[in-house]
Amino acid sequence: MVRIGLLGIAHLHFYSYASAVQRLPNAELVGLYDDDAARAEEAAKLFSTTFYKCPEELLKNADAVIICSENSFHRKWVELAAKHGKDILCEKPIATTVADAEAMIKACDAAGVRLQIAFPVRFSTPMRRVKAMLEQGALGELLAVRGTNRGRMPGGWFIDRELAGGGAVMDHTVHVVDVVRWFTGREVVSVYAEVDSMIHDIDIDDCGMLCMELEGGVPFTQDPSWSRPSSYHTWGDVTLQLVGTKGTISVDALAQSLTVYSNAEGKMVTHPFTEDMDLELIKDFVEMVETKRSPSITGFDGLQAMAVALAAYESAKQGKPVTLR
Amino acid sequence: MLKVGVIGCGTMGQLHSAIFKKLPGVELAAVADLDDQRRQEAADALGVKTYREGQELIADPSIDLVDIAVPTDGHAGLLDQAIKADKHVFCEKPVVRTNAECDLLEKLAIQTGKRIGVGHVVRFAPEYVAARDKVLAGDIGRAAVSRTFRGGSQFPKGWQDWYADYARSGGVILDLAIHDIDYLRWCFGDVARVYAKTTQGLTEERMEHAFIVLRFKNGVIAHVEAGWTNYPGQFYTTLEISGSRGQLTFDTRTTAPILYAKADADKQEVNVALPESPALISPYEAELADMVAAVRENRDPKVTLAEALATTRVALAALESAETGKVVNL
Ligand SMILES: NC(=O)c1ccc[n+]([C@@H]2O[C@H](COP(=O)([O-])OP(=O)(O)OC[C@H]3O[C@@H](n4cnc5c(N)ncnc54)[C@H](O)[C@@H]3O)[C@@H](O)[C@H]2O)c1
Repeated sequence: MVRIGLLGIAHLHFYSYASAVQRLPNAELVGLYDDDAARAEEAAKLFSTTFYKCPEELLKNADAVIICSENSFHRKWVELAAKHGKDILCEKPIATTVADAEAMIKACDAAGVRLQIAFPVRFSTPMRRVKAMLEQGALGELLAVRGTNRGRMPGGWFIDRELAGGGAVMDHTVHVVDVVRWFTGREVVSVYAEVDSMIHDIDIDDCGMLCMELEGGVPFTQDPSWSRPSSYHTWGDVTLQLVGTKGTISVDALAQSLTVYSNAEGKMVTHPFTEDMDLELIKDFVEMVETKRSPSITGFDGLQAMAVALAAYESAKQGKPVTLR
Repeated sequence: MLKVGVIGCGTMGQLHSAIFKKLPGVELAAVADLDDQRRQEAADALGVKTYREGQELIADPSIDLVDIAVPTDGHAGLLDQAIKADKHVFCEKPVVRTNAECDLLEKLAIQTGKRIGVGHVVRFAPEYVAARDKVLAGDIGRAAVSRTFRGGSQFPKGWQDWYADYARSGGVILDLAIHDIDYLRWCFGDVARVYAKTTQGLTEERMEHAFIVLRFKNGVIAHVEAGWTNYPGQFYTTLEISGSRGQLTFDTRTTAPILYAKADADKQEVNVALPESPALISPYEAELADMVAAVRENRDPKVTLAEALATTRVALAALESAETGKVVNL
């Protein structure tokens, strides 16, 4: 039985991660900690688990932790967990600066603990199918990639620059960049971005457009905008289109859904019947802890994706494309 | 009776001739094409006078309006001649191929008292017109991000395979994406800067895919995408505009009300069902009817030369950006 603790519950994904842990036969949710005692207490009650008043106590009773704190606190919790020798699943983005991300990776390496970054989209069944198609050569030679990961404006700490490290671009660039790196085995070599705040009345970026180049000169664009209005039928989207010399693949991770016309909602809504990618992510993480194998999504993966988001901000500031290391 | 002559009897020339043939108050007086067979076929089908060279048609004093439907690199020369011959002109998009030709046309335009219109037909397409109306009415609040797509079909094959010669056609950016660039300019005004990437040079195959990021002076960020493939596919277009109070979108794959899947005996390729979106007046007919009305009413056509040149300069800036890897400020 793998004993799992939650360190930080600021990111709402902790709900589905906690419930996934509780659904697995080989894992156990031992408790949670958050700097905000009120929300920690409430969450502990909801999951009938222990609210630890001290993070070290939680770490003593856990084999591994899931970190869902505000982005800029990821480093402090990862370093603490590493110090206690615990394996870690850290919510994306890995951090808000390259220095923090590198320090986290180093701390985990030094302590000999495994660090996995939570990119659940890699566990989406349609995405896995596309990965297999690509491995079978369905595209021929890859020529162009187009991604979108739009959403609603999340509010709360997501629009606090100190805590989140950025707005829409930080929030919604990393998933798509990670999947494209995983699909193609290519790194992003340059980023041009338009970034602005025009949709909502907030003083952090809520829309943008990234135009990148992958190794080998392949054009790759990504739309991270918080551009889904509240009247939209769902929270947002995750889509990719890959154009190759032998075919084009378009994939929509949320397409498996019912269309529901609901008088109660006052609008049309879609209800997913997709398999639960968060559950698959947690399953994979628990298996990693149990079998002591290396993580399927590494700290380096997290760093590379975050670096693209940071380069996008830099590009928008400079008004020209930025080259990545 | 307005006397019209159409230069070029290819895909667009044939379409324009057929429309002029049925427009009231218009007489299709002549067509021109360099290709003997095409010229003969046009003469048979339309029963009109034919010329070989566009220049000869322009020299015909009986013709009031010259329609230019030859490959893009041939537009500037014929426009020059037609304007100097004091004709009204309708020219297919892209109005010209290069920035130097844009400069030339700007000078010529000042000298003519005649009407010059350009075939940016998307401004006559009902789904695009409806979307713009909604945006201007404020239904989605302040527009912020827009996305367009145009493509999905195979690389076109024109006379002398001119589409594959990028020095003549400008590839998907100048030939295809220009439609959406023009439409977005119509909605949002002037473009401040352009950054673009294309697959040109990545493959020897007959295909191209391009992404263009536009930043408008009013702030709007746009993602314009266009592509031709080397495998069979259905041509489609999409539009999405997101604003501060809503969002609108369409995809012609789902707005086509009729889908006809039929048995086809002598088919070598994948048999695709053909979607159809019928209209009493097609956008192509509407743009030519507007041109004829502009001449008659002595007013500007809906898409003026100045507008078309401004659009073309943005598309050429995108080509430059794709080539240099730099942002092009306008
Ligand atoms: N608005 C649209 O939707 C649309 C669609 C397709 C093409 N176009 C544009 O229309 C133009 C024509 O494209 P197309 O596909 O019809 O070309 P095409 O290759 O089918 O035909 C061109 C014809 O022009 C003739 N021609 C060339 N130079 C001539 C000259 N000096 N005098 C007489 N005839 C001459 C050729 O013999 C040929 O028959 C291009 O600029 C293209 O970009 C617009």
